[in-house]
Amino acid sequence: MSLPILGRMAIALSMSAAIVLPTAAFAETLSIFARASSSNAAQHMVDLWNTSHDDKIELTTIPDNQMVTKLATSVQAGDVPDLISFDLIFMPDFMRAGFLTDLTDQLSADPNQAKVAQAFRDLATYEGKLYGTGFTPDVSILLYNKDLFRKAGLDPESPPKTLAQLEEYATKIRESDPNAYGYYFSGSCGGCNIFTQAPMMWASGAKLLPASGDDTPMDGTGVREVLQMLQNMWKNGVIPESAEADTGSNFQATFETGIIGMQGSGGFAIASLKTNHPEIDFGIAPLPGVEQGQASSFVGGDVIAIPTGAKHPDIALEFIRWQLSDEAQLEALAKNFILPSRTDLADNDYFKAEPRYITTAQAVGIGQTPWAFHFNDMVNADQSPWLTMLQTAIFDGDIDGAIEGARETMKAIAAQ
Amino acid sequence: MGSALSKNQGFLYILPALLFVAFFVFWPLGQLVYISLTDTSLLGGGKFIGLDNYIRAFEDKTFWRALWFTVRYTVVITPVLMGIGFGLALLTAPNRPLQQLTRATVFLPVVIGLGSSSLLWVWLFDQQVGLFNKFLVDIGVLAAPAVWFTKVDMALIAVTIAITWKVIGFGTILFVAGIQSINHEITEAALIDGANYWQRVWSIILPLSLRIILLTTLISVIGSMLAFDQFYLMTGGGPRGQTFTSVYWIYQNSFVSFKLGYGAALSIILTLIILVFASIQVALSNRSHA
Repeated sequence: MSLPILGRMAIALSMSAAIVLPTAAFAETLSIFARASSSNAAQHMVDLWNTSHDDKIELTTIPDNQMVTKLATSVQAGDVPDLISFDLIFMPDFMRAGFLTDLTDQLSADPNQAKVAQAFRDLATYEGKLYGTGFTPDVSILLYNKDLFRKAGLDPESPPKTLAQLEEYATKIRESDPNAYGYYFSGSCGGCNIFTQAPMMWASGAKLLPASGDDTPMDGTGVREVLQMLQNMWKNGVIPESAEADTGSNFQATFETGIIGMQGSGGFAIASLKTNHPEIDFGIAPLPGVEQGQASSFVGGDVIAIPTGAKHPDIALEFIRWQLSDEAQLEALAKNFILPSRTDLADNDYFKAEPRYITTAQAVGIGQTPWAFHFNDMVNADQSPWLTMLQTAIFDGDIDGAIEGARETMKAIAAQ
Repeated sequence: MGSALSKNQGFLYILPALLFVAFFVFWPLGQLVYISLTDTSLLGGGKFIGLDNYIRAFEDKTFWRALWFTVRYTVVITPVLMGIGFGLALLTAPNRPLQQLTRATVFLPVVIGLGSSSLLWVWLFDQQVGLFNKFLVDIGVLAAPAVWFTKVDMALIAVTIAITWKVIGFGTILFVAGIQSINHEITEAALIDGANYWQRVWSIILPLSLRIILLTTLISVIGSMLAFDQFYLMTGGGPRGQTFTSVYWIYQNSFVSFKLGYGAALSIILTLIILVFASIQVALSNRSHA
């Protein structure tokens, strides 16, 4: 007896469904919040994960300055995303507030975690517990214009290796061309300067932000050395007048005009300059310290963590561990010229095509990030003690008074 | 009985509006007052601390400096907006094609977001790449490109220019509506009596537009007292915090320092101050009507 054709089709469909359903029924869709400035990197990660996993992840981009509000309100409302990627400097505040899930046991057992840049591991640790790991890093570097180096009679392949050389080269660039300036920084942007000037202080042995009210902030001669160098350059007209008022709007744009010899910047500048200004011949170097051989960097970028109360913590943890794998670090990040968070993958095949990325990736290994509560109050706020110190020292010339003022205010903030 | 029924009916008619106002105005306002009495932070807290935030606000020099700067900004920009706006309205009130086109052109920046227009002006004012600077140098007003945001007065002028460009069309349209609503017979009668243009403006158009002028001034003053975006994007509060407006300082405390309770207390104080301003203007408006 033969079944009618419709009956056979129904059996075939039922069998197909029986095969497909077990996986489909249990596949979940997770959500991840990422801040806008790192959402491009996060999207590459998410896309690669989604091509190879049944559980899918949906990325939601949050404007940078709304991330804290968004996370705080979602934790308080009990409606959090499964994963969150945010500026690593907020880690201490978020860990202390209880916003994040303790991942100590799970991440410590992962061999890749030990290869993540030290700065990320430090920032994600609070009272001996680990609450997250590196996701999409970026680091500060010294960006310099090779054409202006040549014009000033400097070797474009030999960027400054000490603060004294930096000042000397910047002055020569200014003297060689009345339209050119030796150095640039955004003088009214606290965040820009912790990223680009602080590493020169660290490289010179200084300790900047206090982890508690008992610590001494702005400690070490490096602070004074860097402020003195910047003040000299300001006084001598080596830095353009517009730097004083720049709140960060022109952090990148001024160098792109081609009239700036050097400036502290980030790894992100490489792709941006190559795409938008192929006419500018630029080089990348570590940010120097007082003496030759001293160099440092600010390891910025985003950490990834699981907010308290996330609905799919197991799959979220699987994603966090997967994103540390060779495959994710190389195929999602390095392939797209984005720095990996693992320092052992700094020298990879993708970056060999553009050696400037290797310099940048290596800076992740030597870089620092300050571990401090109230980072916004101390650094990012428009009247923060960090910014006030820079402005008073560089534009007003009162270096010692500026450092002392910053110390007092920072200690008071740290004691809160 | 019939009167009581009609009273209840009347109440039922306005009930939806009352509920709307209660839910969307009084409930959030009550919440704001409550938060202002706590130490609520974005990172936790919420303990009741009575009037501590208000006492702290009265001792907060930056807040009062910011409030003073906001008043100064309001005093500078309001006459500029009213004067130029009314002048443009006089020029473009007749419904002829050229005037209609001019009105539309003047109104165009109103539909651009304040954030976008502020960023646009940051670049126009830039010393290195700014076209506005280049224009001023080319016509001989400046000897060299200026840095607009390193001195508080220059920064105030720069923001005033940018905001005037952005919002002048709004006032102009309101003034045009006011001028066009004046009965033609009155102006024609004045014309027959031999009144020249400026006599007509001074003795007829201006007095009969007074209510719309006061309304526009009220809207403008409240908008200026709540100024934030333009200073956040153009000056960043600089130089050295001298261009912080009240709302900017509230934002700094609430969302940069995460102190929501303190930010709420500052907001209540600012609301009360604006209410006083608004009441004075409404009283003036009523007097002019009487």
